Amino acid sequence: MRKRASRIRSFALTAGIAALAGLFGSTAQAQQPVCSAWLIESSRFMNVPFGSFMPDRTFVPGSTKPESNIPSVDLPVNIGVIKCGSELILYDTGWKQQDYLKMTGSDHWAPLPDQLKALGFNAADVTKVVIGHAHWDHAGQLSDLPNAVLYVQREELKAIEWALNYPEPHIRAINSDPGGCNRTPACGYMPLTMEEVYGKVLKGKAVIVDGETEILPGVRIHPAFRAHTAGSQLLEVPTSIGKLVFGSDAFSSYEGIRDWMTANVQQTDTVQQFLAYEKCYKITGGYNNCVAAHEPLSYTDKYPLTKNSWVALNGGRMAELTLAPGEKSRKP
Amino acid sequence: MAGGRSLLLAGVVGALAATAGAAWLHEIRPRSVVQPAAQTVDARAEKPQPPALTADEERFATTLWTVHREATRSAVALSFAGIIYQAEDRDARALARKIEPLAKFFHDAETQVRAMSAPPSLSRTQVQYVDAMSLYARAAAEMLKFTEDGDSQRLQVAHGLDMKASEDVLRVGEVLWPGQYKPH
Repeated sequence: MRKRASRIRSFALTAGIAALAGLFGSTAQAQQPVCSAWLIESSRFMNVPFGSFMPDRTFVPGSTKPESNIPSVDLPVNIGVIKCGSELILYDTGWKQQDYLKMTGSDHWAPLPDQLKALGFNAADVTKVVIGHAHWDHAGQLSDLPNAVLYVQREELKAIEWALNYPEPHIRAINSDPGGCNRTPACGYMPLTMEEVYGKVLKGKAVIVDGETEILPGVRIHPAFRAHTAGSQLLEVPTSIGKLVFGSDAFSSYEGIRDWMTANVQQTDTVQQFLAYEKCYKITGGYNNCVAAHEPLSYTDKYPLTKNSWVALNGGRMAELTLAPGEKSRKP
Repeated sequence: MAGGRSLLLAGVVGALAATAGAAWLHEIRPRSVVQPAAQTVDARAEKPQPPALTADEERFATTLWTVHREATRSAVALSFAGIIYQAEDRDARALARKIEPLAKFFHDAETQVRAMSAPPSLSRTQVQYVDAMSLYARAAAEMLKFTEDGDSQRLQVAHGLDMKASEDVLRVGEVLWPGQYKPH
């Protein structure tokens, strides 16, 4: 009888512990937000020679091989829009194609506040901006997001400062040639863009990040140093379709990640770019949830994550990547 | 009758050959990656391309580039001096040491570009560039004053001048060096 009572007590204790564990487990899960995500095409660079974007896809006249028979591609400039509860986060911010910067060969640009409005968001409601890196076509329009706190890697800023102060003029130049700088260390960081970054710092709305950091529960910045620029960073986002990883130009091409080909070599160590690809595979379990910045197949069935797309302002496209439970579709 | 049949036959053969030729040309012509038909809005044909520069204009663009290359670097260095001051050291003396050579550079650049001989078609562009150098110089001067009196409002003023100068320099760049910024 005593033995039986002891067994009942032991069972009750185990059951109690299991119930508590279950309760705490589900509480922890409830605290981890599930985010919604969209993709905005800020603009499109038209007719870019494929080989200048992906060396392994260089056009060979007369070739019938699929990897070398496409002379040029149109590259979208993608911005990630992420909603986690009441927080609205942007990953990259595109660039401002005003009359003072037409950027020959670019099309379909629309102002970021207007694009956000088309999705039903207000630019003033953006709480955080994570820039994958500080190149001009990824870190523009910051002054149009007055309340957003900017996240940028210290490593990115240090590398630009190093380049600016290098004695050899070709290395320290932002623009080494009227035809465009060719992968010099400070190439791509134009004055207006850096002034917008400085504007955020000046207003006390910038966080200089050292490596990995969590900006919201489950929403995590990962360093990807030298995967495109010295201080490139990725953003891991929990969603109902699994984790997404936004990669900016460390993930310039979805095909590149899928087929292990380097893309958009600027201040890039291609080994580090491959390690960034690997990080996405490890975090998401494959390549399908890696969000690329310039993939030509974006907004089509050939890049499945982005296929739920539509044409929005000025011919630019948008895609609804995933919705959190209870979040209504913003697709017109 | 036989002549008519021959003529008809020759016509059919000709038409077939033309179709086959057109199809062959279509197949061998290089193509861009196909965009979804409904989403392709090709405005390139409608957009006026900037006219090519004349020899005189080209010479001016080349001469100005030597200043522009260093002006671009110096403008970014101006922002960076501010970033480092705000985010790292809060050392006013270090900030002054960084700004002083930049202030001198922009002052000298203003004088140098003003003295350049621009073709009449680019006189407005030249004035725009001179004004931009002047704005940068004023921004640098404001930052230097801040290092003396600590009035942080001066940094806000300097930032506004910087932004305006950079926009103006980009306007000049769109005329003289439209390819200076590539997709990144």
